[in-house]
Amino acid sequence: MIHAVLIFNTSGVPRLTKFYSTVHHSPQTLVQKIFSLICTRPAGLCNFLDAPELEEFLGKKQREDERLRVVYRSYATLHFVFLVDAAESELGILDLIQVFVESLDRAFENVCELDLVFHFDEVHHILAEVIQGGLVLETNLDEIDRSVKQAAQARKTSYASANPLSLGGSSMGQRSAGLQTPLGWLTGKLTGVGTI
Amino acid sequence: MATGMRGLTQFIADIRGARVRELEEKRINKEMANIRKRFKDGNLDGYQKKKYVAKIIFTYILGYKVDVGHMEAVNLISSNKYSEKQIGYLAVTLLMHENSDFLRLVVNSIRKDLDDNNEIHNCLALHAIANVGGREMAEALAEDVHRLLISPTSQSFVKKKAALTLLRMYRKHPDVIPAEEWALRIISIMDDPDLGVVICVTSLVMALAQDHLDAFAVCYQKSVDRLHRLVVEHEYSATYAYYKVPSPWLQVKLLRLLQYYPPSDDPTIRSVLHNVLQVVMTNSAEPTRNVQHNNAQHAVLFEAIGLAIHLDTNSPLVGTAAVLLARFISSKETNVRYLGLDTMAHLAARADSLEPIKKHQGTIILSLRDKDISVRRRALDLLYSMCDVDNSELIVGELLRYLKVADYGLREEMVLKIAILTEKYASSYKWYVDTILDLISAAGDHVGDEVWYRVVQIVTNTEDLQEYAAKVVFEHMKSPSSHESLVKVGGYILGEYGHLIANMPGYSPIEQFQLLHSKSQFCGAPTRALLLSTYIKWVNVFPELKLQLINVFERYRHVLDSDLQQRACEFYALASRPEDDELLQNVCEEMPPFPPRQSALLDRLNRKQGDTEDKRTWVIGGKEANLERQASRRLTIMTTGAGKLTNGSTSGAASTNARDITQSLAGLDFSTSPSQVEAPQPEPAPSSSSKIPPVVMGPNVDKWYDKLMYSTDGVLYEDVQLQIGIKSRYHGHLGQLAIYVGNKLPAALTSFTTTVQGGDSDALSITFAKMPPTMVAPRTQTQLLLHVECNKVFKNPPVMTVSFLAGSHQTLSIRLPIVVTKFFEGVKLGPNEFFERWKLIGGPPREAQSVFPITLDAAGHIDMPKQQQVVSGLRFDILEGIDPNPTNIVGAGVLHTAIEGKVGCLLRLEPNREAKLSRVTIRSTSEDVASEVQKLIQKPLAAPS
Repeated sequence: MIHAVLIFNTSGVPRLTKFYSTVHHSPQTLVQKIFSLICTRPAGLCNFLDAPELEEFLGKKQREDERLRVVYRSYATLHFVFLVDAAESELGILDLIQVFVESLDRAFENVCELDLVFHFDEVHHILAEVIQGGLVLETNLDEIDRSVKQAAQARKTSYASANPLSLGGSSMGQRSAGLQTPLGWLTGKLTGVGTI
Repeated sequence: MATGMRGLTQFIADIRGARVRELEEKRINKEMANIRKRFKDGNLDGYQKKKYVAKIIFTYILGYKVDVGHMEAVNLISSNKYSEKQIGYLAVTLLMHENSDFLRLVVNSIRKDLDDNNEIHNCLALHAIANVGGREMAEALAEDVHRLLISPTSQSFVKKKAALTLLRMYRKHPDVIPAEEWALRIISIMDDPDLGVVICVTSLVMALAQDHLDAFAVCYQKSVDRLHRLVVEHEYSATYAYYKVPSPWLQVKLLRLLQYYPPSDDPTIRSVLHNVLQVVMTNSAEPTRNVQHNNAQHAVLFEAIGLAIHLDTNSPLVGTAAVLLARFISSKETNVRYLGLDTMAHLAARADSLEPIKKHQGTIILSLRDKDISVRRRALDLLYSMCDVDNSELIVGELLRYLKVADYGLREEMVLKIAILTEKYASSYKWYVDTILDLISAAGDHVGDEVWYRVVQIVTNTEDLQEYAAKVVFEHMKSPSSHESLVKVGGYILGEYGHLIANMPGYSPIEQFQLLHSKSQFCGAPTRALLLSTYIKWVNVFPELKLQLINVFERYRHVLDSDLQQRACEFYALASRPEDDELLQNVCEEMPPFPPRQSALLDRLNRKQGDTEDKRTWVIGGKEANLERQASRRLTIMTTGAGKLTNGSTSGAASTNARDITQSLAGLDFSTSPSQVEAPQPEPAPSSSSKIPPVVMGPNVDKWYDKLMYSTDGVLYEDVQLQIGIKSRYHGHLGQLAIYVGNKLPAALTSFTTTVQGGDSDALSITFAKMPPTMVAPRTQTQLLLHVECNKVFKNPPVMTVSFLAGSHQTLSIRLPIVVTKFFEGVKLGPNEFFERWKLIGGPPREAQSVFPITLDAAGHIDMPKQQQVVSGLRFDILEGIDPNPTNIVGAGVLHTAIEGKVGCLLRLEPNREAKLSRVTIRSTSEDVASEVQKLIQKPLAAPS
């Protein structure tokens, strides 16, 4: 399974940390340790790394057939790092990172580091549509996008019903669709767009 | 949404603006103080709570400790506004862990959301359980989650999450999931038209199947079928193609799942699977420019090679694979080199012959010098796996050379592996000693105690080796910087066998003493203690050293370390006893050989434990290692009942207190714990497909079945939903059955699954001619073709289990009318021949006879056509003119079997009109056949009682 999903920028500041297993020692140390493992590797090396030294953090006994591996991929200033065990296919995880990045890209339109900072909750929601409890949930970009949009719509609906005067509360709306008028929201609701 | 809350955006911007850490902390402390105050004052509306909790989450993500907001997060979850609920759930999954006390407070809210009609609320709840669910949640909510998974009204996106949530619960607490009971229902979802659902369910099945191989056996067929549809028939929705590869994740999962099962015996399944693997390998023969496409294709390819190796290492597929792998290990792409070496290690671990791999030995050894440590690690594993007697000197030599420059992280493992290889494949003792001492001198700190213990054991147990070992270890110790481990080995071996070389020039007792003693000052207390023991042995064998040695003991009597001091005192006393005293001699007797024992080194490498994580299908190491491992795995699987129980109670012990006692007690009661199903105790588990499921009964079912016993075609089963008919043809020991399944409903039967289980599986082999279809369209008929082969006499008819989804999931088990007489062929015999044989066979036990009541036809006569129909339907030839009484029937037939050959069988049926009774007599060269045929003939003829 996937034990952790992390995003770092090139100076080692974590922009997303999500653990799917209980971390026994300080998660911060673990995150730093993982970063120190990958930041020293020049480009051109393979995207996989055995990481027996991380096992203590996840409370694993060292076992020949349960090796932890770090699978990572770098995009511009961001490193996407997955900590996985032997049950996952390494290349499969690389593909999954690509899917995650593409979904972020769709949601934010050319995702950049700032999006991850200011919309940390949204990033978590998107991740939740790709991986759940350490296992691949969905890999179809359209499907992921649809779920993310659906949640955003639900949020907007409930937010708008709480603040009738607001002009839509979603960053998605602001970034992609421009201003959403109450009227637009109303018609959206009437035609049942995005509702189940 | 973050930007929906201006305060939060401002807060984030402030923190980003903080130039130094102190300012950042200051801003955060200020905010936390404010939030604490607000929470304390109370009276916050949902929006404010949401905003503050979001700030707390952000602070937590930055790596600060947060101790407020848990309660507010719990409150937000029960809000009916989605935006608030979502932040609440996010906080719960990030701030809490599975043993958090706060989680108790959310169980009810989660249940409410699971039952909610709004599916996106269901999803939030499922996601929360999948992230932080502990025992309490698992026990309380497993049923609800399962309901969401199987409910026909659940949307795909809910089903996916439910499947993975169930998996999480199973991983954490296997006993809350009645895996065997739910098996067929869960497997049926593998036929879902939505590939996203299939991926998730396959993950779930994969975890469950590993512990319940038999109950989940049908998933083998399903996986092969799905792979065939994806890879060969290209049947998938375009959106699931990832860079033109049909859902690589699903393919990888299915290919992996198949590796948990032994290769199938069914020739149809095998050939379909072979075809799939073939296509996968051909597809990737042409590499493309696109990185993602290549990645996805290789991901599938490597898993496919893994499966091919698992199925049969001698197949031509593996031959192709070996060629591909050889290309991969010298690829320019590091990832491909890495995986090539990894997969080759799999091949080496399984293959009968290492020749195809040895061809590339040079390349592999070169990989030890790859620029990437990950590749170097894989090369090391592969060299370890491919080592055998022929190449051990070369490989071990290479490894030793590499050890000196290897990464520190690698060294300990390398030492262990070198030591094991050296011992396992030593061509001569001399080589063993040389290598292992080289190893100890070279690796120093990385030599675990096990390594030098083992050397001492082997030297002690091998007399021929002792003198040589003493000499070599002496030479090794001459180096100015010998490591402590070497001093230990040296101390022990010279103490025991130093006297064997004492007469050679350069090895005199005094030289031995001086050398050893010069090392003593650089060693820790345990080593010094060992050296003291060496000295006392020398007192015994080298009287000329006695003075110096006593001198040493003298000095050690005053050291601070209590162990050393005690030793020194005792040895001093022992050494100072009079010359003719025998005590010293007796004490210093040479060590007896060690009892043979398993190498501690392998133990250390093989340490493992049973749990519900995915297991690897192979381990690094040669073929034997893998065979041993499989055997031990089978053992653990057989005892998982017990194993899991301890798992459950230990993890419980960590979390809660009083419950465990009841928990562990509950385990004693066989009926309450589902994990006991696999215990050796025979358990009435009706859904377990390892046993024959209960067969559908009913007057009609029996009537149809009886009729089919003596006819070749007819109806087997019918109800409001479906009709099953049979046409059959037999020749000798072979038969062919066409089973027609008609769907009477206006809706399709989906997830259609058929399996056949023989009553006596080694006596009767039944295979599907082609993969059974997975769907029956509305108001149509589908055909299944079965090949039957009779190997031996059998008694129980096989059972066909049909399961499908039509609204709910239904399972139907029906006996197939395949009985021993179907493999009969009639024989024509004249009266003389008949009586000769009749007499030859003789009476019981090779005769079976019975008298049973019969009914007469409307006119009060014996129903002769029926009698004859049954006898000839049971494939006897009716012989005329043998019995003088015209109402009697005499018949003869021969049973054909593949293994036991032919069995002759004679029959005489004597119906009596007046008594309304009939007597049947069967004589056969096999007792089993006689009694079986007697039962078969009586059944359709006997009057209903």
